[in-house]
Amino acid sequence: MLELESLTRRFGAVTAVDHVSLKVPAGQMVGIIGRSGAGKSTLLRMINRLQEPSSGRILFEGQDITALRGAALRDWRTSCAMIFQQFNLVQRLDVLTNVLIGRLNRRRGPLSTLTSMLKLFTAEERAMALAALDRFDLVDQALQRAETLSGGQQQRVAIARALLQEPRIILADEPIASLDPRNSRVVMDALRDVNRRDGITVLCNLHHLDTARQYCDRIVAMQQGRIVFDGPPAALTPARVEEIYGVSEEEFEEQARSVPAGLVAAA
Amino acid sequence: MLPTPTREEIARWRARHPRAFGRPPLERLVFALAASAFLAWLGWALWLFDITPARIWNGLAGLGTIIVLMIPPSPGELWTDILWGLAESVAMAFLGTFLAAVVAVPLGFLGADNMLLRGWARFSLRRVFDGLRGIDSLIWALAYVRAVGLGPLAGVLAIFTADVAVLAKLYAEAIENVEKRQVEGVTAAGAKRSLAVRFGVLPQVLPVMLAQALYFFESNTRSAAILGVVGAGGIGLQLSERIRVRHWDEVAFIIILMVLTVAAIDFLSARLRRRLIGAR
Repeated sequence: MLELESLTRRFGAVTAVDHVSLKVPAGQMVGIIGRSGAGKSTLLRMINRLQEPSSGRILFEGQDITALRGAALRDWRTSCAMIFQQFNLVQRLDVLTNVLIGRLNRRRGPLSTLTSMLKLFTAEERAMALAALDRFDLVDQALQRAETLSGGQQQRVAIARALLQEPRIILADEPIASLDPRNSRVVMDALRDVNRRDGITVLCNLHHLDTARQYCDRIVAMQQGRIVFDGPPAALTPARVEEIYGVSEEEFEEQARSVPAGLVAAA
Repeated sequence: MLPTPTREEIARWRARHPRAFGRPPLERLVFALAASAFLAWLGWALWLFDITPARIWNGLAGLGTIIVLMIPPSPGELWTDILWGLAESVAMAFLGTFLAAVVAVPLGFLGADNMLLRGWARFSLRRVFDGLRGIDSLIWALAYVRAVGLGPLAGVLAIFTADVAVLAKLYAEAIENVEKRQVEGVTAAGAKRSLAVRFGVLPQVLPVMLAQALYFFESNTRSAAILGVVGAGGIGLQLSERIRVRHWDEVAFIIILMVLTVAAIDFLSARLRRRLIGAR
């Protein structure tokens, strides 16, 4: 169970995330929707502690995440894997090494840092990485540089890297916003697959409402840093969307796509 | 939790993708041979130049004696000469770099493969740059001292000649890396080639050029100190004279002044560079 208690983040005068409280039971697939600038990214990045909350708490199975430092913080980051809109793979490393990056904080022993530095991964770890890549049909690209892959392939490599972290949660920040419809489907299928088969909780920022309805067990809608809807996909009818955002669903998606984050945040 | 792969699974993956588990034996052998050849060469070079721990140790002891003689640093009686020499060095560095930076701009445009020259003309110009770049400013200074006589003019010319080719090459590369869409926008508005360069290319490369010239000014302040040793004016002359007569305390004073000057220039040029690049 992941619990957010009145989580808030301010950037100067702007409150990006405004007293958000949320409980996510283990194994759920949650879609977070909202216009760009609604605070979705900041929310996910705070959970991974890439960004520090201004106030409020994050709890995971009763443990206070907001207070973690050093090795404990790194362990937490390993157990809540991030997926980024721009994939954030190391372009000049091969795919296999990118996936093995997911193991770095799982390696134990006095020599683990040294062997990691020298890229001396064990046969077992390599087999794990290949198996994860195989799951997403990427095993033949294992020795290519990440930059030679298409966007959809890169995002699947990122999911394989996340899997090697053996996470409890996957935080996906607009994972399909840079992809075409076909690749979007492949990537969302992959996320749902790890949610269903591996029982990993998935929190996924989306701006496409239909994708959220199709893939998620639960939808959380955000507006100006606050949660304005929280319920099952069926309850988020077009009428409800219009009630929340004051515009039709088509207009909402149009705005979510076209408005740069900075402008909305400043408005 | 991911299942830990069994031995059979690892063996299967290894059979399917042997390269994912490391380099093949032959490649490893070649790598090991190359590495040992390099180490042997390194050892041979050390032996050839008679580089031994004992010699380094004795050298350090000698250095220690000099450092003791340097304390406390003293401006000496002719301290006005020192200040004058330092100012002359900075002026030499500035003039040399400034002239080189100005002359390098048209040369950079000529050397860039997306601008004026193409084919053999550009190729030969680039090779001329390469040739000039191969000669250090110290060599140029020795030549210019014979040609125009002792003093700062030789130093300015030495810095100019040594840097103009390097800056032209760097500028040419900056020009080759401009974003074509911006130039296209200007061309599409009906501008002729020269104006497309003026409005599409120059705004993109000018801050980069200025930043690089500032870097060179800073590094040339250091070189200018050395040029004086061969008679090309500046603080180097003062420094070499005092080393010759073993006035180590005055040498220390000069070194401290030089470090402070370079630090001040570094500080100022870093701020300027940030403004130039950041303003983009």
